[in-house]
Amino acid sequence: MDKFLMMVLLLVFHMRLMALQLDEERAMHLLFELKHAVNRAVHAAAQQTDAALLAQGVRAIDEARAEEWFLDYLRANLRLDEHLAPLPGSPLREPVDVVVFDVINADETFPYHYRNAEHGLDVVLYGPGVVAAIRAEYPRIYRFISPIGWTVKGAAELVPGG
Amino acid sequence: MKQILVFVLFSSILCWMMFAPVYRHVVILRQALLQKEVDYMLEVGASGRYGYIDAEMIRASRERLESKGFNPSLLEYAVGTTSGEDATNPAKPVLRGTGIRLSISYPYGKLFAVDRLIGLDPVPGDVRMGASGVKMSEYVPDM
Repeated sequence: MDKFLMMVLLLVFHMRLMALQLDEERAMHLLFELKHAVNRAVHAAAQQTDAALLAQGVRAIDEARAEEWFLDYLRANLRLDEHLAPLPGSPLREPVDVVVFDVINADETFPYHYRNAEHGLDVVLYGPGVVAAIRAEYPRIYRFISPIGWTVKGAAELVPGG
Repeated sequence: MKQILVFVLFSSILCWMMFAPVYRHVVILRQALLQKEVDYMLEVGASGRYGYIDAEMIRASRERLESKGFNPSLLEYAVGTTSGEDATNPAKPVLRGTGIRLSISYPYGKLFAVDRLIGLDPVPGDVRMGASGVKMSEYVPDM
């Protein structure tokens, strides 16, 4: 009987380890996915040259369009809907929260040291750029790990050429 | 006698316990490798130098993934753009401002077959895992 009990205990222990490993491994890969999504979103936002200012010889970012494209690329890469809630096929379960979205435009002096103590952002920009951070939560499969949430940060500069 | 009986009763669970984590790990790893490949190809393809993802790049990608244990003939690539134009033509790169979309998929195969041991219905082998991404092209034609 005691061997039987031992076996059951071992089973439970092993299953727990498996669940932990599975969740932690998935969480790590999700973080990479989120980081790439933010990178691509800020990259797209930073390419939105202000055509009116460009005609005057100033390379600046059109802030309204930048935000629009930022959200657009975030949605496309993480498969989110209008309100940034996940669609079927999305790696997330909870809506994404955009906690920081700042456009550092051509009226600043460069190099520009961007600091945001609240979210731990610290970037040096050498030209007009976009800084953003999103808050996302990992969808746990099992309840063995405590909730994992990240503030994923990204920054991009307007690249020359357009 | 009793111990043998217990062992026989538990043997399928024991087998499942030994092999299931390995297969789960392979699933996660393959998924991650596909994602990394998509990231890499978009990084290169959407850069200012190319602006396209052509058949040659896809061939090279198949080779890379083959070296990681994928069967290259089962990999499926889908290249598109946010504007609907073709992104696979090197003679006509996608211009800056348009996004290049890439997704790679691969069937799960028999990775969940081991779940039969504990009475779970395995994920059908022809269901595909996939990774995708959209990145804005940086290509600007020479003046």
